Amino acid sequence: MARVLESVDAVVVGTGATGSLFAAVLAEAGKDVLVLERGGERKLSDLYSSQTWARRLKWASPHVVEDGPDSIWFNFNAGHGYGGAAIHHYAVWPRFHEDDFTEKSQYGRGLDWPFEYGELRPYYDLVQKDVGMSGDAEKEIWRPPGDPYPMPPVLVSNHGNVIARGFAALDMHTSPLPMAILTQPYNGRPPCIWDGWCDAGCPTGALANPLVVYLPRARKAGARLQPDAHVTRVLMDKSGKRATGVEYFTPSGEAVVQPADTVVLCAFTIENVRILLNSADTNHPDGLSNRSGKLGQYLMSHPAIAISGLFEDDMQNYLGATGGQLLCQDPFGKRSDPGGAFGSRQWEIGLALKPNDLLGIAMTRPEIFGSELHEFMKRGARHMGSMVGVCEDEALPRNRIELASEKDQFGYPLARIIYETSAEGRKLWQTAAAEGVKIYKAAGAQEAWHGPQGGQHIMGGTIMGVDPSSSVLNSAGQSHEVENLFVGGPGVFPTGSAANSTFTAKAVALKSAKFMVENWGAIAG
Amino acid sequence: MKLTRRSLVDRALKGSLLCLTFKLGAVSILLTPEEARAQKVPLQVLDDAQARRLEILADAILPGSADLGVAQFVDHQLNADPNEALLIAKYFQVPLPYRNFYAGGIAVAEGMAKNSFEKSIDELSAEESQGLIKEMAAPGAVVDGFPVFLFYMCLRSDAVDVVYGTPDGFKKLNVPYMQHILPPEGWNG
Repeated sequence: MARVLESVDAVVVGTGATGSLFAAVLAEAGKDVLVLERGGERKLSDLYSSQTWARRLKWASPHVVEDGPDSIWFNFNAGHGYGGAAIHHYAVWPRFHEDDFTEKSQYGRGLDWPFEYGELRPYYDLVQKDVGMSGDAEKEIWRPPGDPYPMPPVLVSNHGNVIARGFAALDMHTSPLPMAILTQPYNGRPPCIWDGWCDAGCPTGALANPLVVYLPRARKAGARLQPDAHVTRVLMDKSGKRATGVEYFTPSGEAVVQPADTVVLCAFTIENVRILLNSADTNHPDGLSNRSGKLGQYLMSHPAIAISGLFEDDMQNYLGATGGQLLCQDPFGKRSDPGGAFGSRQWEIGLALKPNDLLGIAMTRPEIFGSELHEFMKRGARHMGSMVGVCEDEALPRNRIELASEKDQFGYPLARIIYETSAEGRKLWQTAAAEGVKIYKAAGAQEAWHGPQGGQHIMGGTIMGVDPSSSVLNSAGQSHEVENLFVGGPGVFPTGSAANSTFTAKAVALKSAKFMVENWGAIAG
Repeated sequence: MKLTRRSLVDRALKGSLLCLTFKLGAVSILLTPEEARAQKVPLQVLDDAQARRLEILADAILPGSADLGVAQFVDHQLNADPNEALLIAKYFQVPLPYRNFYAGGIAVAEGMAKNSFEKSIDELSAEESQGLIKEMAAPGAVVDGFPVFLFYMCLRSDAVDVVYGTPDGFKKLNVPYMQHILPPEGWNG
């Protein structure tokens, strides 16, 4: 028999990038908010400057079964504990472009969003002010309309400058990378010291992770956080039209019912779908908010490529932010690929390097071992350059999240992922591989090479749309079927762009949260 | 000694950020893997033969990693809560429990050594060890259904972690470690 708790106005599932924002906005509007987190409590003082220790922030539980030809790199992209994946994200925050929202109507590819860029722009502007973004809006010539950044751009060391030579030689433009990292004191938070430990979690407060921006605001406004709460289902009333709360399990296996007037799922792309599918009942036999049959579909990643090279210059590659220093979106045009592939690309240039870990110096050349590896490490530590190409992945219904036959410790099916990079995304990746090496050569690299295809960000699965027969949520992130159920995060994106997802996820979440507040009476009942 | 943030920082300032809590009898002590090896702290998961072969393989991949305690690091982490584990196997989505993967990898490598050199890993010359690693490092290599290339990648990362992933390792590369400024009180979110 489950323990039943006192009802709250809103239960938010997940303390990450969007859960923390929903919690802050709803609590500041006077709502009684409880935020449930599957992982443990985490403080800034837990974030050690070490790539080895950074792995504690990533997911390991047997939670996702990946069955498709390609991996979406769930464990690397996801996170657990307070702050979720956003605790280790790199804070690279370019905006989506205007035509990212209108691909179907403009190009006949992918899907349309239920709103255009202009409708989201004010929320981008509000979020960038909340977090204290850095950048140079004028030099970022590809940027859609928006307020200037509230602070100057991030550091550019030799690393960025040397690689930028290659872009310039090929008549390609670079600009400071827009980042959610402080370059000046802001709202009591200190600026970055360019130590490159972003992936390990930033404990100084310079990088706008949830622990320093939205969770403190939520708590100050009275929101409560509950760690170690493994949410399994959204609970429904007998009519099948309203959510009554959520069920969660404690680590000891105790079932708990948390009643709530509204439910907001922000448990990241895969887990949101899993919870909705596991919430199937007689009124919703195929899962909650799945009358369209689209729940779980249009799963997307960003096919990514790391370009490495050795230069004669002292690159100062240990300085800066993990996400990089400069941006190039010259290949962002949907039809700009020389091979004819559809979609956007971008370059993030001058990523701060550490010796070890997945993106470290050693991993760029896995075939080197023995005494040669020591020599390579010494050379790389001084002379290696790094940049990453990010490509768009076309939204396809065949890429999807289902329930697996395997079950978790509480008896609920795990998520099963069937994913294969879209043909367009693969072609864009191949173009990027050749272009990246060419840029390095033009910059004077003695050697240049690229890594295998990786995957950044996980999007789709709970897509927004105008038509309830072809989407899961409406333009407010509200379920088409359950008026007091909302979803936040990159899972709501109908298309994925080539821009990093966190800024857009937050802007959309802010739009949804404000909609909830403005329409509270009708939503909460 | 309990593993606390303060003790970690203290040890970090002394040059190693890979201090782990090892059990010596009934006492828990904070040691680097190198110190655990020197003090012969009993292994928790690997048996002696597995640890010896793991060291030989890791040292062939990155000389010096055995002395710096790569086997002790891996053994310690195989006994940890997977969500808290520090192994790169986590990123490669190696199925749990990781101990099965490492036991399997060492066993397959032993079989490869016998197949190629008619010797145990324990008996390989330095040149033969390099030859074995070359076989394991063939991209996508699978032997007897086991992803031996993936095991090589994990073991290579483990070796790099203990040799270069610490402040001492950064010093060897002549780059500053630049550990973070300690957050002032009141920054606990």
